[in-house]
Amino acid sequence: MNPDPRIDQSLEGRLTEAEWEQFQEEMLEDGDLLAQYVEQRWLHAELLADRELMTDLASPTVTSSPPRKSDRTPWLGWAAAAVMTLLGALAFLFSGEKSVPTVATLIEAEGCRWEGSDLPTREGAKLGPGLLSLAEGMATIRFDSGATVTLEAPTRLQVDSAMRCRLLEGSVVADVPDSAHGFTIDTDRLEVIDLGTKFGVTSTPMGNSHVFVFDGEVKVLEEDQKEARHVLGGKSLHFGQSPGSPDEEVERSPLPPKPSGNWIPISTADGSGKDAFVRRDNAHNGAGSGPLLMVKHTELAAGNERRALLTFDLGSLNSDPVVKAKLSLKIEPSGLGFSSLVPDSEFSVYGLLDSATADWDENTVTWENAGIFSAEPIDTSQFSRLAGFTIPKGSAHTLIDVSSEKLAAFLSENAGSSVTLLLVRETGESDRQGLVHAFASKEHPTSPAPTLWIQTDNR
Amino acid sequence: MENPDSSARTEEYLLLLNEHENSIAAYVHTLVNDHADAEDILQACRLTLWKKFDQFETGTNFVAWARKIALHQVLNYRRSAKRKPSYATDPALIESIAAEIDRQSTQLDERSEALKACLHKLPEAHRQTVLLRYFEGFEIEEIARETDRSEGAVYRLLSRIRSVLGKCVSETMEAGTA
Repeated sequence: MNPDPRIDQSLEGRLTEAEWEQFQEEMLEDGDLLAQYVEQRWLHAELLADRELMTDLASPTVTSSPPRKSDRTPWLGWAAAAVMTLLGALAFLFSGEKSVPTVATLIEAEGCRWEGSDLPTREGAKLGPGLLSLAEGMATIRFDSGATVTLEAPTRLQVDSAMRCRLLEGSVVADVPDSAHGFTIDTDRLEVIDLGTKFGVTSTPMGNSHVFVFDGEVKVLEEDQKEARHVLGGKSLHFGQSPGSPDEEVERSPLPPKPSGNWIPISTADGSGKDAFVRRDNAHNGAGSGPLLMVKHTELAAGNERRALLTFDLGSLNSDPVVKAKLSLKIEPSGLGFSSLVPDSEFSVYGLLDSATADWDENTVTWENAGIFSAEPIDTSQFSRLAGFTIPKGSAHTLIDVSSEKLAAFLSENAGSSVTLLLVRETGESDRQGLVHAFASKEHPTSPAPTLWIQTDNR
Repeated sequence: MENPDSSARTEEYLLLLNEHENSIAAYVHTLVNDHADAEDILQACRLTLWKKFDQFETGTNFVAWARKIALHQVLNYRRSAKRKPSYATDPALIESIAAEIDRQSTQLDERSEALKACLHKLPEAHRQTVLLRYFEGFEIEEIARETDRSEGAVYRLLSRIRSVLGKCVSETMEAGTA
């Protein structure tokens, strides 16, 4: 009996929804058809899921022992080359490779500020093993193996050898040519081994890591995990807690240095102030209690759109006219995405015109229930654009001051009550893994909360 | 996880998982059409298996126990809204498939061994196509591009290879029991 052609069609996704529905119904009625299906489906699944079967097949002269290098035969082509690369990677893993005097060159370091590096940081410098600590900007090093690694500030990278480095904190993007297959980046908990690719790794002080493969394949070994994971081009892996739940004790954020003159600071931590961010595809609430306010705009992965909401209690402000005002925000690494994929980014600050509509709750607000705050496009009958600012590529740990006459006027009008600001990014990204910008929230343990600095005319 | 015999227990778990992960993976991929969904479920499965491992009785059938937990995960899986759903399987059918696999469960290891031998009997060109599809994880379109053939030709070739493999596995099994 010939097998039902629909079995193969279903394996390769070639049935329409309706045909699949019909086929399912028939299988439920017909035990023989079901048995046939299960037999072919299992075989297909076994081929898909049993890596041992495939590695075995890729090296046909050995039937049950692991593949050996000497087994390489010409017909194998590049499927076997992948296995060989894997072996190469393993060899590096276990060889306890010795470091050599110089292993890399700093090929690009424009607009960089370095802090506490023990390696030379001028462009063109030859690097031996040691620490690079980039505080601002983006820098690229080329390892002698041919691998190039771009550091996005703030990043601390330990150069170990021509084939290995350790990411202590921050984000890097690695571009690895054939000559450097097996190039490895370690983080606190991970070992990321290149299998011919371009990939990015981030590691935050809060213990999160993110591996993203732009092209090709990497192997990831996680501490305490026996099985390696393979990540293919276009895929990513996230390790550690999701951002937004600080494990440190939360304390009131210190205020940034007071500007000279009679400025009054009001932060989101004062009075009935609050701050939170909402993300489109996230039904979870509680984003208001995290240490970071994340903001992102993207046309490529709509679910990653994020906006921040800031409410300031101006109750302490008397009716003296505000002559000057600025919004001060501390940029923090989000640990999500790569700044090399996002150009210098434009942001806008919108003021909510009718503060009576600002009845959002920091602990329960979500994109879904945020109403006018998540509406697209932004409703200009409800919001007024007060100011804009730019964050250059690679900026980190910087305090941003945003000021405008419109902002001052807006605060003046609302003195004595409260104001709600909506923070959005206008700039999109060139890749779905573009950077998510983050600002310290009032829950951030060490950085200042979003703060309005206000100068009134009280003479 | 801090109790004194935890490390021995952890080791036991890791050994069992290592030995049987492939068949658990094949099981989930049999029940779930969408590749990414299946991988998601497997990841959740490993965690659940570990969490529930104190309920596993040493010496009993690990795979059978793991299959039960995996089936539960499959039936309760909710795809994240972000992903475009490919065709979903009726829960009733999932249970029927699971029952059918349970029925064959004593033979599955043998079938897997038979499949391994059958793969080696394939002619070279077929072997390469299998590697592209299943080792490299290429879609039919990609294989077509890679090997300079039409998608239809690649599809037909893969169907034929699977059918040859299926027949070979059945014959090997019959020869074994005869």
